[in-house]
Amino acid sequence: MNTTQPLQLLAPLSGVLMPLDSVPDPVFSSRVVGDGICIDPTSQTLCAPLSGVIGTLQDSAHAVSVTADNGVQVLMHIGLDTVNLAGKGFTSRVEMGQRVEAGQPLIDFDADYIALHARSLLTLMLVVSGEPFSLLVDEATCVESGAPLLQVRQGEPGTLQEVQQGSVLFSGPLILPNESGLHARPAAVFAQAAKAFDANIQLHKQQAAANAKSVVAIMALQTVKGDRLQLSADGPQARQAIEALEKLLLSGCGETVEAPLALEPANVVAPSVPGRLRGVCASPGSALGVVVQVASQELDIEPTGTGIEIERAALDRALAQAANALRALQGEAAGTVQAQIFRAHEQLLEDPTLLEQAQALVAEGKSAAFAWKTATQATASLFQQLGSALLAERATDLADVGQRVLKLILGVQEECWSLPEQSILVAEQLTPSQTASLDTSRIAGFVTVGGGATSHVAILARALGLPSLCGVAQQVLALDNGTQVLLDADGGELHVSPDQALIEQRQAANDRQRQRHQRDLEQSAQAARTLDGHRVEVSANVGSLRDVEQAMPLGAEGVGLLRSELLYLDRAYPPGHDEQAALYCAVARVLGPERNLVVRTLDVGGDKPLAYVPMDHEANPFLGMRGIRLCLERPQLLREQFRAILACSGLARLHIMLPMVTQLAELRLARQMLDEEVRNLGLKQTPKLGIMIEVPAAALMADLFAPEVDFFSIGTNDLTQYTLAMDRDHPRLASQADSLHPAVLRLIARTTEAARAHGKWVGVCGALASEPLAVPVLLGLGVHELSVSVPLIPTIKACVREWDLAACRTVAQQALCQDSAEQVRDILRICSSTANPATLVMEQ
Amino acid sequence: MFDRLQQVFWKALTPDLVPDEPRQPVMADGLAPAIVAALGGVENLKSHQPVALTRLRVELRDVTRIDLTGLSGAGVTGVMTLDNGVVHLITGLQG
Repeated sequence: MNTTQPLQLLAPLSGVLMPLDSVPDPVFSSRVVGDGICIDPTSQTLCAPLSGVIGTLQDSAHAVSVTADNGVQVLMHIGLDTVNLAGKGFTSRVEMGQRVEAGQPLIDFDADYIALHARSLLTLMLVVSGEPFSLLVDEATCVESGAPLLQVRQGEPGTLQEVQQGSVLFSGPLILPNESGLHARPAAVFAQAAKAFDANIQLHKQQAAANAKSVVAIMALQTVKGDRLQLSADGPQARQAIEALEKLLLSGCGETVEAPLALEPANVVAPSVPGRLRGVCASPGSALGVVVQVASQELDIEPTGTGIEIERAALDRALAQAANALRALQGEAAGTVQAQIFRAHEQLLEDPTLLEQAQALVAEGKSAAFAWKTATQATASLFQQLGSALLAERATDLADVGQRVLKLILGVQEECWSLPEQSILVAEQLTPSQTASLDTSRIAGFVTVGGGATSHVAILARALGLPSLCGVAQQVLALDNGTQVLLDADGGELHVSPDQALIEQRQAANDRQRQRHQRDLEQSAQAARTLDGHRVEVSANVGSLRDVEQAMPLGAEGVGLLRSELLYLDRAYPPGHDEQAALYCAVARVLGPERNLVVRTLDVGGDKPLAYVPMDHEANPFLGMRGIRLCLERPQLLREQFRAILACSGLARLHIMLPMVTQLAELRLARQMLDEEVRNLGLKQTPKLGIMIEVPAAALMADLFAPEVDFFSIGTNDLTQYTLAMDRDHPRLASQADSLHPAVLRLIARTTEAARAHGKWVGVCGALASEPLAVPVLLGLGVHELSVSVPLIPTIKACVREWDLAACRTVAQQALCQDSAEQVRDILRICSSTANPATLVMEQ
Repeated sequence: MFDRLQQVFWKALTPDLVPDEPRQPVMADGLAPAIVAALGGVENLKSHQPVALTRLRVELRDVTRIDLTGLSGAGVTGVMTLDNGVVHLITGLQG
């Protein structure tokens, strides 16, 4: 089997050939997806160019790949931007995983429809597994479907794997959890893991596929959070590879994936005024310090080499030294973000594409330095041109590695920085290598002209807990070293030479905030009572037993929201009864029989899909099968969860809460199921059953829901996005999707009125409850319980204690009549500062 | 000029409100005479429009009157004959 027979690929279509360079789509002409040939078709059936197994086959049937037994993988893509046709005009004749013979028809398409509705009919045939090939016919001629077109030279002997027929394995669809997609660090972790397997492994994203062992190829896929990826593998260890890599991908490839990172860099930055430079907050906080300008060194490079062998040796030596240095840096920074960044850099050094380019230039007689610089710059500029801000930032990684190796080739010493205390580093862009050699104990903050919230500086700054501002105007680079500056990352401002009054004011504010927080902590065990003696229950939003254990010493009076879905996510089958029951019982035991435990039933949907609940793709998952809708469609899942929750009956004051309820029928159906389960288990007491108010329909119909529920809990995040029709993660709208919008407050008011009329209680478990400014409005509207994120429990309890309920009602009535969320915020700031001057400081 | 610009802007902002301008197929003028001749002359040509970056879509009354050699001589590299007298002429990327 280990022969290197040349493999001929047949023309999949009749048509006119076009070189890949001429294809008017950079994704293909840049060869990011793979090298190959383009055909302008004159036939309407796409046929298999080789025998093998159908790999990716898009639902929309405009692209298909065939993998031969020897690992050669060929992707065919019919037309440009045809993904937008969503399948119209295409008819697939085969299925994924099916074995096909060379010449077998795969997809029929309606050429006239596509010509009239898509950008182009130009069809690509790409050897995505990366083997070199030669063209068997002249370019710019016509070919007939089925005629030999390309000759693929297969890899060096030994790399061929003995594979069995049809042994290409596929993972299920995997939803990428990483906030910034598979950028350098996670891509490196992933590629490293892939290399360990004796298998040809591909990572697929829509029609694009990447060699899973190449960092550059993975990065070029331009993945973003939520992308639906798929793995394929063939070879002796295909199964192990898929299993291990699937797990790795879903776990974030070494990145923390639950951590919310809502810092979208706003592209529009308000104009700066003298002495004050505006920027975008990349890491929150504020600091007073002195400017230290960090400029990158310009290096002189002679293009011509002094002999191929000498230059080749110089390049190899520098690469080896750089790899050593990077490993040493990883060791020094073990377990930190920096260590992972340098691990990624080390991987970039080993990238086959990059090395090949540099070595080819050396072979042409160029100097090692020139060859390396050209290769890294070419790839970096490719990243920059691909039109993705995220990938453009990854170009910084390449430039950084490039500079490191260049300095080693040229024998240039690394600059040493001796930093003054409280340094605020200012740079066009700070590279990980620059920041690594710095004494972080002397750094007070970062200011950069380039970069965004996903740049390394931002990641590093957040990891160090230092304030960081990016997107600042160029003029910041003209500031003298040693200039005193006040970096206010929260406010998005850099104050140059701030006057003493401002400095003192800021320091005093910081001190007050610290003192206040200390006081809140000390009083956290006491009940939250308004000045006129009304008790407000402040409970915790939790997702795990650990959260509950942390919440109790901070003064939580119960659990107002137990998110049960964390039990269900990231696994291949649903959690069993015992596992579920164990969690609910453990949480209930921590609380005890006197405290409330509100368990929300499974709240997943197209935006948070489960491997074992197959769902059709939804154009808009937030308006699709989410929450109770999904549970009622799969009643077995809900019944099992009810049974598991009921296992902790009696251990705490048990409440069950249904998410996304829109229709009365949904509540009635769920209640009927719950009653049945209670009867089956022979329990004397039925737990309280309530619904979340997060769909405007439920708030508007609260008067009809109220008689049939035991309580309401308002999910302000979803209620806001559904009321204002603004995606809370939308980069431009997120800041306007404000839960203090009068429209949202009116829906809350309607809900509390209905509840009051029927003697039911209302809680708020959305993010609004955790916002100190919102506390008086919520209390004034008649909310009884605030369920907040664990660390904010002492703060919110303290807020409650500052207010008189009658004053809250007045403020709430005023808020309902405002025009906009900003106006509501304005009156709340004014009221808060008169009620308690310290609150104003909190909000700054 | 200004009106046109405003219209384009308005269209971009509110794609539902401004109707698409019907794309008028330019009649035989604007077509290379050699191509028109190879398609059987103006009277055989019902309509024609450039489509899909590389193609000229024509509707013919009688497709049997196509002169393939003539088209090839006029720079057409490929011909795709479809139903109802529709023919795609592959002319390559323009400009």
